[in-house]
Amino acid sequence: MSTHGITRADLQLVHLPRRRRINRAMELLAWLAATIAVAALVVVVWSVAKRGAPALNLDLLTRAPVAFALGPVKQGLANAFAGSLVLVGLATLMTVPVGILIAVYLTEYARPSIRSAVSLALDVLNGVPAIVIAIFVFGLLVVGHGQSGWAGSFALACLMLPLVARSTMEVLLLVPVSLREASLGLGVPRWRTTLSIVLPQTLGGIVTGTVLAVARVAGETAPLLFTSSIVGTQVGWSPNHALQSIPVAIYELSESADPADHARAWAAATVLLVFILLTSLTARWLATRGRRRLSTSR
Amino acid sequence: MSAVPAPRLTARRFRAGDAALQLVAGAAALAACVVVALIVWKVVDGSLPSIHAYGIRFVWRVAWNPVLGHELYGAGSFLFGTAVTSLVALLTAAPLAIGVALFLTELAPRFLRGAVTALVETLAAIPSVVIGLWGILVLGPVLRDDVEPALHTALGFIPLFGPASASGSSVFTAIVVLTIMILPIVSSISRELFLGVPRELREGALALGTTRWEMVRGVVLPYARGGIAAALILGLGRAIGEAIAVSQVIGGVVGIHWSLFSGGDTLGSKIAESYQGGTTKLQVASLIYLGLVLLVFSLSMNLAAQWIVRRVARRQGVGTNRGGLA
Amino acid sequence: MPKLGTVTRTTLAAAIAALATATAATAHTTDTTITGAGSTFVAPLLAQWIDPLGSAYGYSLQYSAIGSGGGVAAITNRTVDFGASDAPLTADQFAACKGCVQIPWALSATAVIYNLSGAKNLLHMNGATLAKIFSGQITKWNDPAIRKLNKGVSLPDQTIATVHRSDNSGTTYNFTDYLSSASADWKSKYGRGVAVNWPNGTGQRGSSGVAAGVSQTPGGIGYVDVAYALSNHLKYFAMQNKAGKYATPGLKGILGAAAAQVKPDPKTNELSIVNPATKYKLAYPVSTYTYVIVPTSSPKAAALRKFLFWAVTRGQSYGPKLLFQPIPKPVLVVAEKTIAKIK
Repeated sequence: MSTHGITRADLQLVHLPRRRRINRAMELLAWLAATIAVAALVVVVWSVAKRGAPALNLDLLTRAPVAFALGPVKQGLANAFAGSLVLVGLATLMTVPVGILIAVYLTEYARPSIRSAVSLALDVLNGVPAIVIAIFVFGLLVVGHGQSGWAGSFALACLMLPLVARSTMEVLLLVPVSLREASLGLGVPRWRTTLSIVLPQTLGGIVTGTVLAVARVAGETAPLLFTSSIVGTQVGWSPNHALQSIPVAIYELSESADPADHARAWAAATVLLVFILLTSLTARWLATRGRRRLSTSR
Repeated sequence: MSAVPAPRLTARRFRAGDAALQLVAGAAALAACVVVALIVWKVVDGSLPSIHAYGIRFVWRVAWNPVLGHELYGAGSFLFGTAVTSLVALLTAAPLAIGVALFLTELAPRFLRGAVTALVETLAAIPSVVIGLWGILVLGPVLRDDVEPALHTALGFIPLFGPASASGSSVFTAIVVLTIMILPIVSSISRELFLGVPRELREGALALGTTRWEMVRGVVLPYARGGIAAALILGLGRAIGEAIAVSQVIGGVVGIHWSLFSGGDTLGSKIAESYQGGTTKLQVASLIYLGLVLLVFSLSMNLAAQWIVRRVARRQGVGTNRGGLA
Repeated sequence: MPKLGTVTRTTLAAAIAALATATAATAHTTDTTITGAGSTFVAPLLAQWIDPLGSAYGYSLQYSAIGSGGGVAAITNRTVDFGASDAPLTADQFAACKGCVQIPWALSATAVIYNLSGAKNLLHMNGATLAKIFSGQITKWNDPAIRKLNKGVSLPDQTIATVHRSDNSGTTYNFTDYLSSASADWKSKYGRGVAVNWPNGTGQRGSSGVAAGVSQTPGGIGYVDVAYALSNHLKYFAMQNKAGKYATPGLKGILGAAAAQVKPDPKTNELSIVNPATKYKLAYPVSTYTYVIVPTSSPKAAALRKFLFWAVTRGQSYGPKLLFQPIPKPVLVVAEKTIAKIK
């Protein structure tokens, strides 16, 4: 009798000491792998925090940058923080309604053939590298019109959409059929059932999915490279013009020769990391809370 | 309460609401498909001038000469760079990631399990531009000053380990950066796979007297084989598509150099560096052609991985409908 | 009408909030924003113009230094209001740009920077040797050719690490223009252009990238606009001109080179002052004009005209501390005539 890759020879008691030694060696390797992985994270985060913390001050958030300063000058990255807020905010506003609608369509109305087609489209969209999305949005929205916050937000929205749609779909499928049937049986029309009964149950999951998508997209540089990078130093809030963003600012500062620029890049990276970590943790906490609530509500 | 149909007036209103929601939701789904089609169309359409000029030979031609009057473009050098950086990063990350996943499912004490899982997933959340920043300013100098000279002295007879890079920007630095980036993906998928191995199979093997490693080698790994393949392919796809961090640390050099310590360039990083500055129509079209090659490769990786995942999930009886509508 | 559910109400509220923010944000356009992109060479000077322009006319200048090639591409695609390029437009580029004019608006030099610990500033170098270094024929700092130019200076046995621009750059055009003029070998093998087929070295984006690359690479050598060498405290060479004198990329050397061509080309407005003839004894041989590219018909024509008039007159006074030489009178006259064509 053999179970997959276990042969009779493996089970020989006479080889036991050798088998135990090999086992020990493999366990050590696994511990080593885990240590390396954790070490990589710790090294990167520690490097960023160590270099970013000294440069973290209110100036970073409130002062605009000074282009090509000849000497030390008080400056910050206010335009990047403002721009990131607008860009990510607009992208979220663009994505969430569309993502929810797509999920509703796929779970409520779509025939299996259409569902697989749309799912495939979402998978393809998820697999397109961000730099290719940048080329696409550049050709679609920037040529002839100029860069703008709209183009940048749209590029970010393309990245967010598969994530929001998929996570909304997952929570929609978790809603028990009995709830739907009860509502329909009481005479509530199908569309109201979906909007007022089913969706509110999934609100937690939708928020989690959105928060995760925001965390993912807040640090994306490539989609903004050709769509919202020709910026001035002043703080702007209007999406009609190109807006600076934190990842693009870090990208540009990282290639500069000035150590003061590097310090600001580290500080911005620290803020970005903290933001992403906080949003990811929030999403995870929301997810476990939601799961607990759904399991107790059954 | 009997199933008496509601009065006709309300029935019509209901149907209008239903139709409206179906229309709007359907429009959203259609919009997603349209966007995908537009992406493919724009990329193909944008590269047409270069496709007309160079045909399919562009894909393997090793040349990028932008001098006016002598313009000649080809993706060969960048395809080589993409292949080397992504494959070596995958080769390095795969054993590490599987090791981490095995650690988390077999060896970790309860209190460590949650913490290490969270830490490894946090690694995935670090934006590529931050890793690139770390690569330029921290990793690059360390590799340039300590690691590369040591490797060159010890293994310099192998052409892979040529003279240390002068600036810290090299293919080697890019490989390390990519390894860090794809490790969490492969690891978290592998972990889910190992958790999904049926208890009876594992306990059965252990009951026969196998050591833990023999059980892993004989039961867990073969069972998760398909999924691990998918995880590896997904990781490879991620590495191929990474443009920002790679462009920050790879050194921007055209041509095929066998030494890992020389500079290089990949499809994504070349586009990130040069797209905004494309001078002639042919150059811009060639850069979009690079994007087309990149799109074809990363899409096929992604779709292949997802196809494998679906096949494995179906085989293992894990459906996608969990108590909802059919 | 059924009462609106929670979901509908929240969505409506969010949509109204979004619309309100968007209208509020877009209503705030009191300044005229002038956007431009291109040359990293002229970026330091443009940075000095942001505040004075704001206080003089209320213009908000947004410029992104993506390289001269990028500037030409951007203005051709009309994604910006003006493009900046150190490399003059070719006939094809003029045609593609559809009714653009090229106006010389600043004058400065490319410094050849190096990172050699212990060495002093302003070591000697000439074009032929420089061409051999960048083509890979000279690989060590203590090569006899370099030692011959720097008698009495001890040069280490260190590998030369060349750094060049990876993006399409007018500074590369200026630098390779000089190398082609000084070395027939370079001219035949690599020529001049906004990007060439570099045989060795690492590529960096932007002049600040090259400055960063050289300052972080022991034994490094590269080329940047002289303002970047100043702001990053980098050492640069004194280059030998055709008269045999070693000139530095300062105002005197740039002015000396500008004498080589005083009248811009009547059709394209371009000026070539690279490697001037022997009689220009004070010339720094790697000097160049840099141009602004604007369409003759633009929705922001009035603002552009005011901006450019200011740039070529008042704006020049911000140049000297960054080693930009104010443009000579004959060039200014032509520039103003061309600016008037913008409608």
